[in-house]
Amino acid sequence: MTTTTSYLHSVHHADTFSIASSPALSLSSSVTAYSEDAIMNEDDENNSLAYPRTPPTSEQVFTTVHAEFGHCTNEAYRCISKHDYTRPVQEHIIEEPPYYILLATYMSYVILYFFGYGRDFFGILFTSHFTHLLPHNGYAPLKSSFDSFYSRRLRLRILDCVSQPVTGVPGRSIIVLDRSFTDNDHALIHTGGKTRSLNISSYNYLGFAQARGGCADAVEESIRRYGISTCGTRLEGGSSELHVTAEALVARFLGMEDALISSMGFATNSTFIPALVRKGSLVISDELNHNSIRLGVRHSGAEVRMFMHNDMSSLESLLREVISQGQPKTHRPWKTILLIVEGLYSMEGTLVNLPRIVELKQKYKFYLYVDEAHSIGALGPHGRGVTDYFNIHPRSIDLLMGTFTKSFGAAGGYIAGSKTIIDALRLRGHSGPYAEAMTPPVLAQIVASMASIMGVAPTSQQTNSRLSISRDNSSVVLKENAVGFPATAPASMLPTWMNLPPALADGSEARMRISRLAFNSRYLHAGLKKLGFITYGHPFSPIVPLLLFNPGKMCTFVRLMRAWSPPIVVVIASYPATSSMTSRARFCTSAAHTKEDIDTVLRACDEVGGIMDLKHGSGERWGIDEVCERAVELVHSHFS
Amino acid sequence: MENSASAALEPLLSFLTFSLSTLESGFYKLPGSAVVARYVKSSHQNDPGRTILELILIIFAIRTLLQSRTRADRSGKHFIKFSEKEIDELVDEWAPEPLVQPLTEWEQKDLSSVPVIAGPNGPKPKLFSTGKTVTNLASFNFAGLAGNEQVKDRAVDTLRKYGLGSCGPPGFYGTIDVHIDFERDIAEFLGTEAAILYSQGFSTISSVIPAFCKRGDIIVADRSVNFAIQKGIQISRSTVRWYDHNDLKSLEDTLISVEKERKKRKGLLTRRFIITEGIFERDGEMVDLPKLIELKLKYKYRIILDESISFGTMGRTGRGLTELYNVPASQIDMLVGSVANGLCSAGGFCAGSAIVVDHQRINGTSFVFSASMPALLATSGSEAITYLRNNPSVLLTLQDNIRAVRAVLEKTEGITLLGHRASPIIHFCLRTQQQSLSVTTATYDHEAEERILQDIVDDVIANGVLITRAKHLRGQEMIESRPTIRIAVTAALTKKEVEKAAGVVKTSVTRILSKRR
Ligand SMILES: Cc1ncc(COP(=O)(O)O)c(C=O)c1O
Repeated sequence: MTTTTSYLHSVHHADTFSIASSPALSLSSSVTAYSEDAIMNEDDENNSLAYPRTPPTSEQVFTTVHAEFGHCTNEAYRCISKHDYTRPVQEHIIEEPPYYILLATYMSYVILYFFGYGRDFFGILFTSHFTHLLPHNGYAPLKSSFDSFYSRRLRLRILDCVSQPVTGVPGRSIIVLDRSFTDNDHALIHTGGKTRSLNISSYNYLGFAQARGGCADAVEESIRRYGISTCGTRLEGGSSELHVTAEALVARFLGMEDALISSMGFATNSTFIPALVRKGSLVISDELNHNSIRLGVRHSGAEVRMFMHNDMSSLESLLREVISQGQPKTHRPWKTILLIVEGLYSMEGTLVNLPRIVELKQKYKFYLYVDEAHSIGALGPHGRGVTDYFNIHPRSIDLLMGTFTKSFGAAGGYIAGSKTIIDALRLRGHSGPYAEAMTPPVLAQIVASMASIMGVAPTSQQTNSRLSISRDNSSVVLKENAVGFPATAPASMLPTWMNLPPALADGSEARMRISRLAFNSRYLHAGLKKLGFITYGHPFSPIVPLLLFNPGKMCTFVRLMRAWSPPIVVVIASYPATSSMTSRARFCTSAAHTKEDIDTVLRACDEVGGIMDLKHGSGERWGIDEVCERAVELVHSHFS
Repeated sequence: MENSASAALEPLLSFLTFSLSTLESGFYKLPGSAVVARYVKSSHQNDPGRTILELILIIFAIRTLLQSRTRADRSGKHFIKFSEKEIDELVDEWAPEPLVQPLTEWEQKDLSSVPVIAGPNGPKPKLFSTGKTVTNLASFNFAGLAGNEQVKDRAVDTLRKYGLGSCGPPGFYGTIDVHIDFERDIAEFLGTEAAILYSQGFSTISSVIPAFCKRGDIIVADRSVNFAIQKGIQISRSTVRWYDHNDLKSLEDTLISVEKERKKRKGLLTRRFIITEGIFERDGEMVDLPKLIELKLKYKYRIILDESISFGTMGRTGRGLTELYNVPASQIDMLVGSVANGLCSAGGFCAGSAIVVDHQRINGTSFVFSASMPALLATSGSEAITYLRNNPSVLLTLQDNIRAVRAVLEKTEGITLLGHRASPIIHFCLRTQQQSLSVTTATYDHEAEERILQDIVDDVIANGVLITRAKHLRGQEMIESRPTIRIAVTAALTKKEVEKAAGVVKTSVTRILSKRR
């Protein structure tokens, strides 16, 4: 662990260094909070988001813009995300609301459906709004009134609370484009106004969504050097050396033999899973797996069975059933069984019970595919995801998949595994021959952010044998004993033109980010619990769902949070993303948040939750001031 | 009296209890019943009111839930009952095969021959393996936008305002104003009401198709459509009828027969779609758009047209086939294009009416469930459209270059040129008796031809020109097509340069083929 002083020291050093060494760099983006251009002029009124509450002292120099990545020097506001093996792995706890809340929720749906169908019925009879839902002119309607019922009758009512357009960096704060309903309440128009709001909604776990700083500088450099596109698919003339570099780095980051990257996270699942299963294979999938995984499985045409969300006994009994029964009808043994789970579930915040799954894997010999879209970077003392969190060797898992859209502030996804498997995927996955390759700016962001998490080790020996898109055996293959895991990034693996500022290169900034994220996540979970809310999810999960239950409360919650000072933007989710009874608001904490930001969210929730009758959790309750004061104690206590 | 009544009822009662208990045990024998029982118990919680409410909910849930659920059937018919011990033994005995079959020797070679570019890609990139500069006839840089300084400047400006990633799907604060602007730019450029942006070209159409085509709908599609379309059709679960590749006569016959069938069955009016490509990725053929539209209007179908190759390359300013044939783009219900190919950025779009576009914002799976495109890629796309609007001459240059390449290759012995003469991608295969590309009965040895073509590619690269075989997923495509070499022509090279490069291809073909004989 670095200390504040060393962090600040290195930041300070970086600043003086860059200014002293090259005057040209004074134009570069190593800015403190106060440089003019970094603060957009739109947000004069909401200065609490643009400026820190207590101005930094003269020795404190920050490399980040406060509105993007909050300044927080208090070393107490840090925490290490690591599994405590003295305690059992937390099961998915579902706390039930009181009876009348459920009743009200059922009733809301009944009323919504009743009115919805009623309005449809009379609307079709008497008005002309429905022509596109009826056959006309010999064409069947594009969408049936039944299929579109949800969007017309439920979603339309909360239209102003979903798909909110924004501008600027999706960092600690975000600028929302104000909208208002048109006269007939059926559409929204932009008013032209902009509101800077506290952003507790983006998947910006490590706070790498930044327009300034070492990563953004690397991206700019890559645009200048490589342009925007590599002009083609990976197998047909669109492969760049940057792809090779990034893939090698990802493999090393994860501690796997080899890795491939793809230009879209969603497509990583949907286009590579089909290459992993064949006729006679079975996929076992968690019932809450992401749509992209389900789509990949459907593309493959393989048999699929589901088990109850993160329920290990349901999984084991399913395994026993499918292995003993074999393939349907013929009862031949399955050729392969592939278990697909997510590391961290994006709607529930549940963490996969990896220790148990690895145990089951020993016994039942299935192959394991873990989608770490949300957990990579965000969990584990070194940000290496669930394996790191549970201290399980990554190679005990066959395939680690993840995306760069979240913790790395980039785009696209990866799959890592043994070289044999990855090479086969390169050639046989749909993306290789048909999908555009990842673009250079995105690659630069990935390489820069990932290298900063790993820390760059200056090395002398050159590993330049990576000539083809498949990595040579002789090249940078992780040798556990030699480098140790988690590995650092040898400077020779990075593009020669990429010069990360010292705080990024030595890994100190990333360590700060990881421990701040862990603190913020635990604090928000524990705080909401102490205030009496019902939440789901693992205490270390940066995804914190707050249960609202009643669909009618969703938009009220959003509107009230937006009316808070400073405004807070939140995500709401209901059917079809979750079960219809458990409508919820979902927070995503970020390393970019300061402790004061979490205080703000908690205060807002406390008041709004009081008004809206949301506090139905069990357990001891604290007042909001007590929660904020005893935050550090809360974070380090064993709640749950 | 009472006694006798109860005595008379006795057998009835005992029968009732007996049948109840058999029912119960029968229920527990059903696979999956334990889950149901547990669920009922846990939700019941000694509270009948709740159970009733749950029941109401379940009815609602069933009504509302999508019909498509991929649960394997657990029907008891083939279920064998094992004891725990037997299961343990079976588990111990079971030995899985390797997860993937390792690459064959040919696949290995194929993979290692994939070119990697050092530095920027463009008309004259440097190869990573040899460090040599080559003339690029492989990469998609049709309008010469790669490395465009104007685009780069715009991208850097965007970076400094928005950062790189969007950190969220469009529904969750991932819709940035630059996406809205770019969507409007595309819609205005094409002349449609609206457009929607997807973050990957390949995933666009395979998401658009299932958003509209559902079970029971009818799709009439070209037999030779690209892989993304095939996957979209597969997911849609609609009824598919295929017509012969780019044969509109065959299309019309199919449309007639579909209509006849419907009349015969007195079926309901269902949604009907024609799905085809503007310029076919597989062979460079071009669809006769006016005729297609005529058929569509006559038989009342909707068109999903994939313009992934033709958008940004065809027509005076790159609006695609609609501009080339001068038909309004609004005639095409769903016009799908690629931002990655034609505009040298990344992503894809679907343009159409506002209803079509809004529907996808909720139902396009790869739109809804994936992070939106990085802001700077969207502005790069916008900038590319501006460039195309302002520089119509680049596409004239492109056409000149296409003509020049075709002229050289037409004179080359031993190969057959495929596709439309204006297509910016030019495929050629080895000449044999069998001329048609979409042969289903293999009268040729696939791998042997691939090897010869790869030898040609390697030889051409060694002589300073980058080309590539058209890569396909063998065994996964609906129809196996002849192996081809695909040349992508660019406006960034002069006519002299492309002629010279085509000359290199010609020489290599002749050399390799003569060696084989
Ligand atoms: C588990 C999981 N996998 C894959 C994805 C898709 O990633 P991307 O947004 O990068 O396309 C997501 C995104 O939400 C996800 O949650």
